[in-house]
Amino acid sequence: MAEAPKPSSSVKLVLLGEAAVGKSSLVLRFVNNDFQENKEPTIGAAFLTQKCNLPTRTIKFEIWDTAGQERFASLAPMYYRNAQAALVVYDITKPTSLVKARHWVAELQRQASPGIVIALVGNKLDLAGESQGASEDADGEDGGDARKVSTEEAQSYADEESLLFFETSAKTGHNVTEVFTAIANAIPETSLKSARGPGAAGNANRAADEQRVNLSGPRDAGAKDGCAC
Amino acid sequence: MSTSGKPPSTPAIASFIHLFPRLPPLPSAALLSLRPAVRQLQLQLLPRPTLSEQRPALLPRPATAQSRQPDASEQRSTRLLQPSDGRQPLCCRHRHASLNLAETMFSNLSNIVQRAQQLIDPTQGLNLSNSDRNPSKASLFQSQFRLPSSQTPLYEINAELTIPPSNSTRGDPDHDRGWHYAGKLHLSEAFLCFSTTPTSFTPSASTSTSSAFTGQTNGSGPSGSGFTFPLCAIRRVERLNSQNFQFALAITTWNGLLADVAKPKDSNNSSTNKDVREQRITIHLAGTRQACERFCDGLKRGLRAGVGNVGKLRKVVAECYSEHLLRTDDRAGVSPPDAGLGMIFRYPGDPKKLRDRAKMRLWAEYLRDNGRNMMLIRQPTFHKLIRVGLPNRLRGEIWEVTSGSLYLRLENPTLYTDTLAKFKGQESLAIDEIEKDLNRSLPEYPGYQSEEGIGRLRRVLTAYSWVNADVGYCQAMNIVVAALLIYMSESQAFFLLSALCDRLVPGYYSTTMYGTLLDQKVFESLVEKTMPILWDHLVKSDVQLSVVSLPWFLSLYINSMPLVFAFRVLDVFFVEGPKVLFQVGLAILRINGEELLDAADDGAFISVLKSYFARLDESAHPKSENPKLRAVTRFQELMVVAFKEFAGVTHSSITELRLKKKDAVLSNIESFAKRTAIRNLGPDSKLLSPEELGSLYDRFYNVLYERQQRGRMIQEELQRQAKSSRLRGSDNYPTAAPNEVEKGRVGLGPSTSLMDYDAFREFLAGMSRWAISDASANGSENKPYSARKSPNALSPWGSGPEPAEHEFLQRLFRKWDVDGASALTLQNVVTGLAGIKGKRDIMGTITYFFELYDDDNDGKVDREGILRISEALLFLSRRGLEGSLSPGASTVGLNGEPMSASDSQSSLPADISAGERFLGSVSAFIRRCFEYADPDHPKNQDGPAFEALGSNDEMVDPNAFAIGDDEDDEDEDEDLLTMDTSPTATPTKAKKPAGLLSPDGQSLSNDSGDNESRRRVSKAKAEAANAALDPAHPLHITLPTFRMVVLADELLEQFFESSFPASLHIIEGLQSANSSSYGPSLTTFSSLGFNTRSQTQAPSGHMGGGRGLRGVLDNIVTDGMRVASEVRRRMEEAQRELEKNALPSQRTEEDEEDDDDVGVAIGVRRGTGGASADIERRSVMSADRDLLDGVDAEVGSGAPAKETGQSSNLLEVDAAAGRRRANSASTTGGPGVLEFEG
Repeated sequence: MAEAPKPSSSVKLVLLGEAAVGKSSLVLRFVNNDFQENKEPTIGAAFLTQKCNLPTRTIKFEIWDTAGQERFASLAPMYYRNAQAALVVYDITKPTSLVKARHWVAELQRQASPGIVIALVGNKLDLAGESQGASEDADGEDGGDARKVSTEEAQSYADEESLLFFETSAKTGHNVTEVFTAIANAIPETSLKSARGPGAAGNANRAADEQRVNLSGPRDAGAKDGCAC
Repeated sequence: MSTSGKPPSTPAIASFIHLFPRLPPLPSAALLSLRPAVRQLQLQLLPRPTLSEQRPALLPRPATAQSRQPDASEQRSTRLLQPSDGRQPLCCRHRHASLNLAETMFSNLSNIVQRAQQLIDPTQGLNLSNSDRNPSKASLFQSQFRLPSSQTPLYEINAELTIPPSNSTRGDPDHDRGWHYAGKLHLSEAFLCFSTTPTSFTPSASTSTSSAFTGQTNGSGPSGSGFTFPLCAIRRVERLNSQNFQFALAITTWNGLLADVAKPKDSNNSSTNKDVREQRITIHLAGTRQACERFCDGLKRGLRAGVGNVGKLRKVVAECYSEHLLRTDDRAGVSPPDAGLGMIFRYPGDPKKLRDRAKMRLWAEYLRDNGRNMMLIRQPTFHKLIRVGLPNRLRGEIWEVTSGSLYLRLENPTLYTDTLAKFKGQESLAIDEIEKDLNRSLPEYPGYQSEEGIGRLRRVLTAYSWVNADVGYCQAMNIVVAALLIYMSESQAFFLLSALCDRLVPGYYSTTMYGTLLDQKVFESLVEKTMPILWDHLVKSDVQLSVVSLPWFLSLYINSMPLVFAFRVLDVFFVEGPKVLFQVGLAILRINGEELLDAADDGAFISVLKSYFARLDESAHPKSENPKLRAVTRFQELMVVAFKEFAGVTHSSITELRLKKKDAVLSNIESFAKRTAIRNLGPDSKLLSPEELGSLYDRFYNVLYERQQRGRMIQEELQRQAKSSRLRGSDNYPTAAPNEVEKGRVGLGPSTSLMDYDAFREFLAGMSRWAISDASANGSENKPYSARKSPNALSPWGSGPEPAEHEFLQRLFRKWDVDGASALTLQNVVTGLAGIKGKRDIMGTITYFFELYDDDNDGKVDREGILRISEALLFLSRRGLEGSLSPGASTVGLNGEPMSASDSQSSLPADISAGERFLGSVSAFIRRCFEYADPDHPKNQDGPAFEALGSNDEMVDPNAFAIGDDEDDEDEDEDLLTMDTSPTATPTKAKKPAGLLSPDGQSLSNDSGDNESRRRVSKAKAEAANAALDPAHPLHITLPTFRMVVLADELLEQFFESSFPASLHIIEGLQSANSSSYGPSLTTFSSLGFNTRSQTQAPSGHMGGGRGLRGVLDNIVTDGMRVASEVRRRMEEAQRELEKNALPSQRTEEDEEDDDDVGVAIGVRRGTGGASADIERRSVMSADRDLLDGVDAEVGSGAPAKETGQSSNLLEVDAAAGRRRANSASTTGGPGVLEFEG
């Protein structure tokens, strides 16, 4: 992680998609290699960072994980402002989530910074029968699995709109890192700004602090409440 | 303090004597202003008692005594009212009849007094418009005392509240002991409130004038010290005699007496339960005698009305933990009321650390002394106790009290369970969304790892999503409710959620979350103001503050701080309101200021705050020498900074900032919403340009919101009027101020997104001239609420023109309403308009039009449909045609060729206006349609057709007709060809006439037949039409026929190609200039009874002829009507004839002579009422003349002369009659208007 010579640049990445498609879980998997069954819904947005080492450079992702509920959509511009990359996530077991993903893609194409790299990600691949762990082009639509969105459909849409496309499972970790690596590779060199000061807040511990920085604090921390009456 | 030493067991008779107060013998200024007669009356009715002179000491002065007791001299306290506790009879039941009478008289008089006072005080009743900037008195009142929105301030009076020390020394009253608070006493419909915080609820109250309320609260909360008693919680009010001429009331509440319903208890004799002390407070009213009297009068009424609610109160209170806490008898056997999941799964935090026991003891003491739940009196200690954190089991209840949700629950105690029962088993989008989040709401709290906790959460969120469908469910509500449920029952949490969404954080959870976004802007500007250096740093490092702070506000810090601390913030938040969120937020930034200044990006910024929240329980000054200082935790420091350093952040400063930012925030949301909505409109929308879509979107919502606003205003106005008329003479509640209804906005959340038919008409009227009613704007109001105040505001159409009503509009609406919901979505409107405007090809428009009239979608339009189409064409063209008419069109004849004088269109001048030519086109359209219509049952048709043929050689069957006229064909064909190709085209020989027999053919021969028909003499044509109209010969046209007929006429073709689509001005709308051009011509239209549904008004003065273009237009429209009417007439005729089985030979003559009768018959048959039938009949007759003069005469053969003459005569008569009618209409209209104005 501390490879000094490689040029490092930071990339602002935003996650968009319908509620409960697994945006936060993808990030959690990518950043902490962890999975929680019942993740609290994201309120507003969560911010996390993670580095991605490419052969020639290091990309530091500043990840904005947004809330998925429809009404939070109006907050989204606040988060995708200046974003260089976006992960538009849908749930392969829920066709409506792909519709919503299309809306997001359209919104980003029209409103976000030009040249934004968009990746379409179908999550919850683990629910799609046998294809889990297999290559992403495995067509596991049949066999009684929960898949409702075929790979072809999403792939052709992604091709149409020139999007990166992946099917992932945040639960198993399948393809998760690949998504981010692909995005990192797709970011044009020219649009890369150097990281805002390597030790941005002068935090020596930042490197070790590459983990989820949720907006919510720990709960139930033992409280020392010496209240006077 | 002269409280009675003995229990107030006043004899019943005495108590009801005192029930009726009386007018003061010494009239105040207000009374003096009354007419002497009134005073006389008053004196007669209420003879001055002599008692007052006899015993001035006991019943001090007439000026201060509200009522007299002629005999009970030992009685020193007089009861105003003693609500029944179940066993004591209600005083009022025994009221003597004569007293009743006197009381009625009194209330009448006191009314007069009030009204007189209103006259004296010019500001009273005067109402400024109420907006955010100038909130209504009622809303200020409600928010001060956290009352439900049903409550309005009725009376207020300066008063001093005296709370006896610990309520325990009742027997030994001591003036110098106890607590005294000066403040104001307020009375609403169901509440009696007292607050030390001076307020101004004057009618012109605004946030600025009542800044004392909205301003700095210094921790005492907006409601200061005092109480908020539901009137049903007041058990007894006694009027106290006082030596110093003061007006004093002793109020006894039900405090502590409600818990044990089952146990018989003598409320007048507390011996059964020594520990239950009556809560009894004293209030000295400081005001004019009159004001005091009035207040007491109102109180009395309210108390009486509140008696019935004691049962509710009992029920509500039973769920309060305080009742259990203060239970004096054995608590062991009784299960405590539900105080949340914490009772089962433990409350968060270490109770020892939280010093829960000590807090509980303090609260128990406080509640014992100052009343509990509903009967709680707020003293400064109350606020202090809240600041140190509430004890776990009382937390829920105190939240209820301070937020006011307790009063919501009192209003409708069973709403929660009722709602659940009502919607049991139903599904909704909100429920789906809730379901997704149930397992992820405070998942680390054990209660939410169990079905018990999840179930409660589900039920509360679901119930709320039903009662407030506009909000439904918003993520973050799950977290808030999960937190609430730890401390309170489901029902309590449900009502507290209501209070949150409606009052404390309005708009936070709405579908657009505008409240959240707005408060972020407010917070940012507060940071900018209070911490400019930090703000500059944020701006420089491009850190967006709201991405950090938004979750703080949205989840009320529950998601940000450790729960124990978040609850401490909530404790204060519920009592002091939303400003607490800002204060705490600012304090967080202030305390971490140094570190934040080092943070250069979002990530660093967030991690600073994250680690701060994680260490809230640590010492704020770990290195301090002073052990006391060392003991101060970071959280305590936070609270101190929040409420001391940021004490300047007040409700009013926040309100002000919100107002300042509101527009920008809403516009942002709206542009996002618009963008999204338009993008999601689907493929049809691609037919329209983005500008058109944008404009449609705006128009759509504008109409909806304007109508919504207008509807509310009208409703409010009606309510106010109803109220004032009801109150007149009986009651004297000051009528509520007229609230200026704020216009809805998309940004505030879609309160409306469906367009009903009326809105649809209004929507079209904003874009198309033809969609505007012909009635003149001011005379058309036939609704009851027409021109009472400002006509524009209260007209159902607002300031815009009244939309037209026409069958065409109904059809269009039905066609667009694809879901059959009787309402259009934006999507429906866009799809509908795309069908008209978007196709940009004539065939598409023609098809669209045809389908409008193809009711059963079988590809056929019947006779009635043809007539309706022609009516619609005239309707749409009555204000002239728009779009690009072919340049040559104005100089060529109807058929697009120069015609000889003998030709069919010769009667039309060459330079005739397009409108007039269009009329001709429509009439030709009708003819052609009937000619080429297909018989529904060709076989059946033969019989009657031959019958008709027998009577007349000129065919009856259109086909036969064409064939029989062979010799004309060649000429016709020439006409035809020139028409269809170019005006200069060379004549071509016609094809075989037989072609006419193919009804849907688009061959030339068909067209030729069309022209042919025009050449028929009127009689022949009439007969042809008759046959066509013969109901025994059902017929229809198909789309190809329709297309052919339209394309046969250049003008019609142009109409469908450009005029009609162009008449919908989506983007530019109707210029105001346009409005001047559609005045008079419309009147003509309406006078013909064509549009009888929307207006019955006859044309008035400006009907006169010869006014240039307008006159021409008038005539055109009239002509059009005539054509349509003529067709109808003939249809009737044919029917009549068939019914009569008229002999063929008599036919022609009879026809003509019976015109009058036919007219009558039509009138009767088709009339929608006397007047309109009349109009209709007349129009039919004048149509006769015109048809003969114009269209028919031009054919030039046959014998129309007689007919013409006759009809002309008729017309003269008709015109005169019409004028007479017009006059009478305008005179009858006159007084109506005057009435409203007067």
